[in-house]
Amino acid sequence: MAHIPDGVLSVPVLAAGAAVTIAGCAYGLRRLEAEDIPRVGALSAVFFVAALVHFPVGPSSVHLILNGLVGIALGWAAFPAILVAVLLQAVLFGFGGLTVLGINVAIMAVPAVLCRLAFDAMRRTPAAAGGVAALGVLLTALAVALVLTLSGREFAAAAKLTILAHLPVMVIEAAFTAAAVALVLRVRPDILASGAPGAEAGR
Amino acid sequence: MSASILRAAALAVAMLTAATPALAHKMKLFATAEGATVAGYAYFSPGGRARDVPVTAVDGDGVTVFRGRTDAEGAFRFPAERRSDLTIVVSGADGHEARFTLRAAELPGTLPGGPSAAAAPPPAAAPSGPPPDLAALIEASVARQVRPLREQLDAYEAAVGMRDVAGGLGYIIGLAGLAYGLSMRRRLRAGRES
Repeated sequence: MAHIPDGVLSVPVLAAGAAVTIAGCAYGLRRLEAEDIPRVGALSAVFFVAALVHFPVGPSSVHLILNGLVGIALGWAAFPAILVAVLLQAVLFGFGGLTVLGINVAIMAVPAVLCRLAFDAMRRTPAAAGGVAALGVLLTALAVALVLTLSGREFAAAAKLTILAHLPVMVIEAAFTAAAVALVLRVRPDILASGAPGAEAGR
Repeated sequence: MSASILRAAALAVAMLTAATPALAHKMKLFATAEGATVAGYAYFSPGGRARDVPVTAVDGDGVTVFRGRTDAEGAFRFPAERRSDLTIVVSGADGHEARFTLRAAELPGTLPGGPSAAAAPPPAAAPSGPPPDLAALIEASVARQVRPLREQLDAYEAAVGMRDVAGGLGYIIGLAGLAYGLSMRRRLRAGRES
C-alpha cells in the first residue's frame, strides 16, 4: 500500500507529491557530504530489498517499509535514498508506478525525516529508535489514507485499512530498528552522534 | 523483550484475521470466459487472494454490466449478456487497483454482439464447421485446459525474481559510486584552486 499504483490519485495530489519530493531531494543532496554517500547507498539498498520481505496479515500480505531506520540513519538524505529505491521498485518490481513516483516517495520520506527529528529530540536509546520507527510506519499509513482522501475516497475506510494492516509492520520494524540502532550505538556511536547528518564529517 | 514483541505481533495478526480486506504491494486481476459466464479472481503479487474487494465490469460502450465484491476466495463471476470487450476493475478502499480486459472473441458467438463486436465474424457461418453444440463443447474444453497456463503466465508477468533484485542493487551501487566520484572531484578541484 505504501506503493500506490498509477491512475488512482488525482493530478493535483500527484503534482504536490512531486514538488515535495523534488524539494526534499534537493535539500538532502545539498547537505550531503561525500563521506556519507556510501551510507546513503547502503540504506537505499536496504529500503529497496525490504519491500520484498512480505508476510501474511489477515486476508492479505504486507511488506516491510523501514523508512524509520532510513530516516534515523540518514536524516534529510533519506529523500534521495528513498527516491532511488522507489524508482527501482517501480521499474523492476512493478510496485507503484512512474506517474506516482513523487507522491510515493513523499509518503515514505517525509515520515523518515520526521523520525530523525523526533529521534534527535530524545535520548539516543534503542527503545527510542524502536518507538520512532513504529511512528514512521504509522505516519506513512496515515499519509496514504490522506492522499486517497484528497483524491476523492473516504478517509475513515482507507485509514482503517492502512493502519490495521500495518500494525504488525510497526511491531516488526520497531524491533528491527531498535536492534540495528543498538548495534550501531555499541560499535560506531559517532554515526548517530550529532543532530545533522554529515556534521560528523567535519571532525 | 523479544518474547513480548512476538506476543504482540501474534495478537495483532490474530486481530487482523478478523478484519476485512487487504493491502499488499501490487494487486492483480485474472478473468476468463466459461461459456457465457465471466469468472475471475483478484490476488496480490506477491501474496494471496484479495477478499471482499469491489469489482466492476464495463463493456465496450462504457455501460456498467456488473457490480459486486470478491468472495472469501477472492473470486467473482457474472453472466455476460452481450459479446463485447469487457474491462473489469477491482479497486480497494486503500488505493489498490487492478484492471483486466476480456476480449469479445473469448465470449461465445451465440451471444448477441454489441456494436463494438460487429466486426467479429459470426462463428456459425463456416459451412464445413462442426455443429454449434459441438463447437461450444470444444470451446469450453479448450478454455478449461488452457486456463491454468494463462493463470501461470499472468502471475509470472508480475513475479519478482533474483535478477530484478540483483539488477536493482547494482544500480544503487553504481549510482552511489558515481555520486561519490563526482562530489570528490568537485572537492579536489576546489582544493586545488584555493
